[in-house]
Amino acid sequence: MEEAQAHSILDPETEFLASKRQTGNEWELFKENVRPLKRGRKIDVLNEALKSHSDKEIRKSLHDQRRKLIEAIDHYEGDDPLQPWLECIKWVQEAYPPGGDCSGLVVIYEQCVRTFWHSDRYKDDLRYLKVWLEYAENCADAEVIYTFLDVNEIGKSHALFYISYALHMETKHKVKTANEILNCGISRNAHPVKKLEDTFRKFLARSMRMPKTRDEDKDENHLPARSFGTLLAKGDNSKRTAESYDQVKRKQKADRAPLAIYKDKNTDTGLDHQLEMPKKGLNTWQTLGGRADRNKENSALPSKWTSHKIPQRPGQWVGSTTSGPIIEVFVDEECPQSGIVREKSSTLQFRQVDNKELKKETELLRENPLRNFPLNSLPR
Amino acid sequence: MASKTVAKDIITLRGSAAIVSEFFGYAANSILYNRGVYPEESFAKVKKYGLPMLLTEDEDVKSFIANLTSQLSEWLEAGKLQRVVLVIMSKSSGEVLERWNFSIETDGEVVEKGESREKSDKEIMREIQAIMRQIVSSITYLPCLDEPCVFDVLAYTDKDVAVPFTWMESDPKLIANPQMVKLHSFDTKIHKVDTLVSYKNDEWDDQ
Repeated sequence: MEEAQAHSILDPETEFLASKRQTGNEWELFKENVRPLKRGRKIDVLNEALKSHSDKEIRKSLHDQRRKLIEAIDHYEGDDPLQPWLECIKWVQEAYPPGGDCSGLVVIYEQCVRTFWHSDRYKDDLRYLKVWLEYAENCADAEVIYTFLDVNEIGKSHALFYISYALHMETKHKVKTANEILNCGISRNAHPVKKLEDTFRKFLARSMRMPKTRDEDKDENHLPARSFGTLLAKGDNSKRTAESYDQVKRKQKADRAPLAIYKDKNTDTGLDHQLEMPKKGLNTWQTLGGRADRNKENSALPSKWTSHKIPQRPGQWVGSTTSGPIIEVFVDEECPQSGIVREKSSTLQFRQVDNKELKKETELLRENPLRNFPLNSLPR
Repeated sequence: MASKTVAKDIITLRGSAAIVSEFFGYAANSILYNRGVYPEESFAKVKKYGLPMLLTEDEDVKSFIANLTSQLSEWLEAGKLQRVVLVIMSKSSGEVLERWNFSIETDGEVVEKGESREKSDKEIMREIQAIMRQIVSSITYLPCLDEPCVFDVLAYTDKDVAVPFTWMESDPKLIANPQMVKLHSFDTKIHKVDTLVSYKNDEWDDQ
């Protein structure tokens, strides 16, 4: 226990207490409406934000503030373009305490990560990784995001990546995968290593206590786990007929699993492949192509369908100058695309869409977090 | 004419010192529990202030807090205690993450003349209850402490107080640029206790 002598220069706390200023009590009154943030919240911003839900004036000023922050992103000229994005994200988190689909939080996470995903500069940036991780937390299935990060080597030097990834897999009962992920992080010396090792230890303790898991074959990640047809074909275990389907499935996977699990951690060359992912076709993730290539879905001119023929209904054609089997899709070049504008840094989106659009886009993103990413960057 | 009067109780200096030091013991336990400084399983539920409160079963922490509260009581009776601060620090780096600051104003006359005051015990209890509730609710804005932490207690006293054996002089362990939240206060009419929690403003690029 320690005793401190009172200081003549007031520290901020003493000053605050002496000033008779009060902290607003909105935080306590509306605490059910507040989603706690890992990094904590600024109390003044929180109280203001909570007030706004009953005040049109404040709501309008929120709208203006958001616009200002987006403009700051668009007009930024310094050498750390991620910074204004972070400011905006932090603000949205604080100004909309409950989070929720109308806050546009998920949308801005997505726009931020999509803006920099190919940038070497931010591959190892912890702040950038954290945006990805927060995005992942908001999605129905974050696994696709973690896979994406892994293949694109984003955040691979940070312990946080492996910890979050492993935790996610653990919640999906993919304990062996989680184990490999943590091991991979440790072997790559992700920092801070101690935190990774502590996490690993706690994870091992937890998995000792858990009953034997029932899944794990990574190659079947996205397939439903039924395989009745093959059970009877394997005749090497006479006990099988007596066991339930579940147990048999488990055993079957366990038979296959040893091939996947052991990796020789001593060889350096093995390191990059420690994390076993379905490797086929993943080269496509790493090539992005030029901007034009990326945006070809938006700028492509309509052309003949070459792969699929639709039988034409004989009959009248109204307003068409050409006859024959060509279906021409009408594109109004002058009409601004509603909702998602992909040409620029897509921050224009905020100004054009309203709450309903934000909500809709948020829902779509939650279901399919990489939906706006160029098709040739996604895993097949 | 029927009138409702709140029954007031007599509060002596000693009684008030006991109330405040006891409050501090329970508040410290609540903070240690809610902030995860010690594992949940090491606490047991008791009833106090009309609320379910948690007290540690860990012998070391128990005796630390018991020694603490008896020393505080002594200082309170002498009217020499100005502030008590519970500091939460990172175990690995020693960095101060959170400070729970209880500031005390003592009625000097009572100390000098040995008078007593009147206030309803129930009302004091209600005031303390409000503070305890706020401590629990403060998860709303406090950053997540996801690393092992340790705590310490600082006491600010009048300059003429001799440092007791188990205590030592220290620097104030302040947080730079803290976020601060003033919580409710309670008043026995002899000691008035203001509560404030200050915490580190977590930036996006912290590990």
